[in-house]
Amino acid sequence: MIRHSVMVGWADGPMRQYVDDARVQLAVLMHPSGQVLAQHGFAKRLDVQTACALSAAINATADRLGKMVDGAPFRGLHYTGAERQLHLAQLHVGDGLLLLLSVFDRESSLGIVQLYLDELRAALDAAVPPDDEAPPALAEDFERDLNRNLAALFGRR
Amino acid sequence: MSEFGPLLQSLTRHRGVLACLVASEEDGIVVDGTAHVGVGTNAFAALTAALCRKAQRASDTAGFGQVTFFELEAEGGRVLASGRNGLLLIVVGERELQVGLVRVELRRAVEAL
Repeated sequence: MIRHSVMVGWADGPMRQYVDDARVQLAVLMHPSGQVLAQHGFAKRLDVQTACALSAAINATADRLGKMVDGAPFRGLHYTGAERQLHLAQLHVGDGLLLLLSVFDRESSLGIVQLYLDELRAALDAAVPPDDEAPPALAEDFERDLNRNLAALFGRR
Repeated sequence: MSEFGPLLQSLTRHRGVLACLVASEEDGIVVDGTAHVGVGTNAFAALTAALCRKAQRASDTAGFGQVTFFELEAEGGRVLASGRNGLLLIVVGERELQVGLVRVELRRAVEAL
């Protein structure tokens, strides 16, 4: 099975801008398979890995559940906690789909996050590398790609 | 017409009003509203709600209590807002907006929220 490239680095600029504008505390941009592409706010690679795996699972669950009960996938998730809120969005970038997990507190709001998501989507669209510039990601290379991306993001090889 | 229809109408009938929105105070999400073409209602609601929350924090820090009215005056226009019961009523207007009249109407309308 061939998936879109999961090359890390190209999304860093747009993500930095999004984090600054939307005032989110944590943000992870990932492939729907759970491969991390960019992150902000996490200090440990294991936390990023866990956040990506859980977000991918939530997305897959909502997708299937929506198709089952409503005939169409459920898209996005917003959860309000006591202090923090969580937002999981689907972003159509280029020909593919990416997931963005954002966590924010009272410094931001759902409206602000949604507002800057549109700008992030446009910035990612402009920054996404052409398919022929990066090797396609293969399912059998998932773990190797994941470890490579985490190492790149956290500066460890 | 929605339950906020009459309230919105009472404000949009004033000359110079470009948009009138009811938004969630906490989330900045538009609940209802009317706007001229070209006014980004979602952006206005989200950003104005954020400003109002900041204004409330400033007021709390100063010990002034609840913010009852918020006004932003810019070169090209004005934004007026007032909230109650978790909702925010936002009026976006031209620079020439009759602020006094709209302010009175806004305060009256907020009582209905």
